[in-house]
Amino acid sequence: MSTKMCFEIPVLVPSTKGSLVVFGVESTSHTFGVGIIEFQNNNVCVLANVSSQYKPERGGIHPSEASQHHVNVSNEVVKRALSEAGISISDIDVVAVAVGPGLGPCLRVGATLARFISAYWGKPLVPVNHAVAHIEIGKLVGNMRDPLIVYVSGGNTLIAVQKDKRYRVLGETLDIPLGNLLDTFTREIGIAPPYIVGGKHAIDICAEWSSEFTPLPYTVKGSDLSFSGLLTAALRIAREAGGDKTKLGRVCNSLRETAFNMLIEVVERSLMLTGKREILLVGGVASNTVLREKFETIARFYGVRYYGTPPEIAGDNGLMIAYTGLLQYLYGRIVKPEELVVKQRLRLDEEVYPWLL
Amino acid sequence: MASLSNSLIARGAEAEIYVADFLGIKVVVKKRVSKPYRNPIFNKMFIESRTRTEAKVLSELYLAGLPVPSVILVDEEGGVIVMEYVEGSRLSDILGTLPRETIIDISGSIGKYAALMHNMEIYHGDFTLANILFTRSSSIVIIDFGLAGYSTDIEEYAIDLHLMSRSIEALYPEFSEIFTKNMFEKYKEYSKIGGENVIRKVSEIRARGRYVDREVRKAILRERYIG
Repeated sequence: MSTKMCFEIPVLVPSTKGSLVVFGVESTSHTFGVGIIEFQNNNVCVLANVSSQYKPERGGIHPSEASQHHVNVSNEVVKRALSEAGISISDIDVVAVAVGPGLGPCLRVGATLARFISAYWGKPLVPVNHAVAHIEIGKLVGNMRDPLIVYVSGGNTLIAVQKDKRYRVLGETLDIPLGNLLDTFTREIGIAPPYIVGGKHAIDICAEWSSEFTPLPYTVKGSDLSFSGLLTAALRIAREAGGDKTKLGRVCNSLRETAFNMLIEVVERSLMLTGKREILLVGGVASNTVLREKFETIARFYGVRYYGTPPEIAGDNGLMIAYTGLLQYLYGRIVKPEELVVKQRLRLDEEVYPWLL
Repeated sequence: MASLSNSLIARGAEAEIYVADFLGIKVVVKKRVSKPYRNPIFNKMFIESRTRTEAKVLSELYLAGLPVPSVILVDEEGGVIVMEYVEGSRLSDILGTLPRETIIDISGSIGKYAALMHNMEIYHGDFTLANILFTRSSSIVIIDFGLAGYSTDIEEYAIDLHLMSRSIEALYPEFSEIFTKNMFEKYKEYSKIGGENVIRKVSEIRARGRYVDREVRKAILRERYIG
């Protein structure tokens, strides 16, 4: 890393003297990542953010294959992160780990590593909610205090705000998440995996084959969304295309437009309901340039500030776990290694976080 | 209508709201607009079919005596509905400033009117605090039927109640428990279509959200299938 990136913490934390080095481990799904940050005077500097992704050769994520990948790369990723940061393990002050939501076998790889480091070197251990981490890192890098949060990934599609020190979900998918819709559709029609090529999702590549549009099921229920009917209908039409590239392109284009328009509509509704002046887009699907452009346009239209996390931090990473772990640590939320448990199902709105508004 | 541009009072998620004078009566003009970031097909769908349904639903509810603005004029293609102006504040803005007893009364009225509306096989579709006006005479008026429709599926009714209870949770969590409880009670009292089942469906919908604890989900489903 040529220049050290530093950010001022946009949330209220207890004042602390001296500096702290936090080591964060992410392993909830396809990514094994380690992030290292240094905290001083209400500022956070990124020392390292290294990750390795499991990419299935065919099909979707196979949990035990993914966890096998994490085990295989963990030593290398940790070593690279430490060397980038220019520190050794004994220099770490706090160990943070994502404990959920996620895939059991994957979660356990990170948890085991974090427990070990904590116990062996006697470092305080902090459990982190992966969904909260996606949002906190977005608030940090985008310098936002009270945004309307739009979290879109392979495992989540939700709109939230903070209120009374909790994240409150205003709307969410009632069935499959947006990322899952795009992945499943492209996989079923045989153009993925790989899902991402040169920073572009397979759906975007396919959508370029046509600019035409076919109406597909559009399901918005208040601020909630449902994508499963859309997926089924798109797959049925895709099968009828009989391998015709232009016809297939039309389905891809229509599927993407319909899904993104549904999301945009509930974002507008939530914006009206809450009167927030900032929109924060986080999660893996936040990397999608077509979606980002749409968000830039709505933000201009309503005269609100918009920030979308850039690809390096939009996808799963250790940095967001280290940073959220720091916030937890500053508020004294540490656990003993033997008390750390993973939770495959863990909701964003389950817990109170003292740094929230 | 030439002076409309000077009287824009609100910009909703899909429409612009103007105040105008019509035969000496103060009216609201709701004009659905095309959005630059929306596919033209959606623009057309949003404008035509939603205008038609909204006008129809509003008229039926008004004639049945429910507290909704009465429709005066409709232009489907232009996406315009002219309706009676209602003086009031959105509950999403002011609920927290009201006395506790008033909040409880409001929750009951919301439950009652939701039941009467659902009895007519109509769902609101965006039933949140932002779409309930609180008037000077301390009564409520339900507005914005832009996502409303007709259905006999109790799922749609349950979604209305689910949206309302989640909007109170997000905006005024301190009142959410009593509000939701009272709303459900009145709903059951006025429902003629099996209010119990609708309310059971609400917890089922909630359990469909991502990462709901497995035990919680199991308990809800058990109640549904085993009783």
